Amino acid sequence: MIHQYKLNGYNIVLDTYSGSVLNVDEAAYDVISLYEGHSREEIVAIMAEKHPDIPVSEIEECLEEVEELKTGGKLFTEDPYGKLAQRAVDRKSHVKALCLHVAHTCNLNCSYCFASQGRYHGERAVMSLEKAKKAIDFLVSNSGTQRNLEVDFFGGEPLMNWQVCKDTVAYARSLEEKHGKNFRFTLTTNGVLIDDDVIDFSNREFTNVVLSLDGRKEIHDAKRVDYAGHGSYDKIVPKFQKFVKERGDKSYYMRGTFTHANSDFFKDIMHMADLGFTELSMEPVVCAPDDEAALTKEDLPIVLEQYELLAEEMLRRKKEGHPITFYHYILDLTGGPCIYKRLKGCGSGTEYLAVTPTGDLYPCHQFVGEEGYKMGDIYNGITNTALRDRFAACSAYSREGCRDCWAKLYCSGGCAANAFHATGDILGIYEYGCILFKKRIECAIMMKIAENSIRKDGSAV
Amino acid sequence: MKHIEAIEVIDLKHSEKTGGCGECQTSCQSACKTSCGVANQQCEKAKK
Repeated sequence: MIHQYKLNGYNIVLDTYSGSVLNVDEAAYDVISLYEGHSREEIVAIMAEKHPDIPVSEIEECLEEVEELKTGGKLFTEDPYGKLAQRAVDRKSHVKALCLHVAHTCNLNCSYCFASQGRYHGERAVMSLEKAKKAIDFLVSNSGTQRNLEVDFFGGEPLMNWQVCKDTVAYARSLEEKHGKNFRFTLTTNGVLIDDDVIDFSNREFTNVVLSLDGRKEIHDAKRVDYAGHGSYDKIVPKFQKFVKERGDKSYYMRGTFTHANSDFFKDIMHMADLGFTELSMEPVVCAPDDEAALTKEDLPIVLEQYELLAEEMLRRKKEGHPITFYHYILDLTGGPCIYKRLKGCGSGTEYLAVTPTGDLYPCHQFVGEEGYKMGDIYNGITNTALRDRFAACSAYSREGCRDCWAKLYCSGGCAANAFHATGDILGIYEYGCILFKKRIECAIMMKIAENSIRKDGSAV
Repeated sequence: MKHIEAIEVIDLKHSEKTGGCGECQTSCQSACKTSCGVANQQCEKAKK
């Protein structure tokens, strides 16, 4: 399967199953589009009519290059992964990451919050240290031979239970040597309670911090308000700036949410950059289709344009020597994920679990509080094995709608929670999300080609 | 090649033999939290 597209002046061809990325000229682009379903003679004839200015010898050259790539397994490759996908699904996996919901409460009252202001459809609660330690024990004892274990302090707002976060880190560290584990901690916070202690501890212990900021003050303050209705922008931005400045070269992301109100979110990303932040992420809102924040059909072309604008601006900034990073445009073509990871995806419900303040286990943070999606608890482990098996069966090959999609080895079949919220089935397809995902991958690959061109000859992007 | 430039990419088929250790980061632990995307994750072995 191949995918062809033109973007920012580049003619790009992707070969799904080999992972090949090709930057081609106009003639080769058209030859490739004709290659399947036409004889050599037909291609030459069609090309001669469409491009009378291109000599037949050039068309012949294109055909030879296409055939060389095809013979070399880099173009028009057949799908070799069907059986492997089943093997990947059948392999026993170990738990390696927990989303630790240390606080089902929040000091902000954001209208679009997928976690219902941190309560996840339930009562306000904070996790006790005893339960947090038990969650760490559960992770260690269910992690098999996995060395790297991840714990994200999440909420609600985790800083509302900060001492438990710190004590949990100390407890987990005390187990590392004995059990041969390496814990990687992350924090996702709205910033309201950031102080020097949070900054010092996080910059010492956390491999990554995710800081919630939606961009422009008027956009941020329209949604991210306290319980008195006051916007949080002025309170948190200086804290985030101090946090990031003192973080040095350790990883962080400014993470925004865009909604119907800011389908022009390119401006919000640029605003974050203007504030001095360079590691940026901006996610489409997750909410019911009838919510006023929901992205509409009319928003779609605007949203797609934002991704293109962002890619072009990032190339410009990189060329000028002051680059910014966009989470979804990070693409390591040579050192990226192996085929197993691409087939299996995020591991929700198997490798990755969410733990509530009461110690209940869910397939991921986005399923917490959903009836029928409780998997067990930290004391008894996963007891709903049928549910675990349903999640284990999710792969790039498990959805009929993905069968002919060129992007399936980039998204692994998509987010089970997105599918569930859009269709009621974790094996459904969230089509709006697919369109956005594919656009982001197209942009990210175009940027790789452009950067490759810059490296080679220093020419214009 | 004159008309086609092949960008260097990971050999996906070969990674069937070398991959699968599972030591890499879980994608939703990084920054998204609301959408799956494994393409931007790094291989733990390649990081070394």
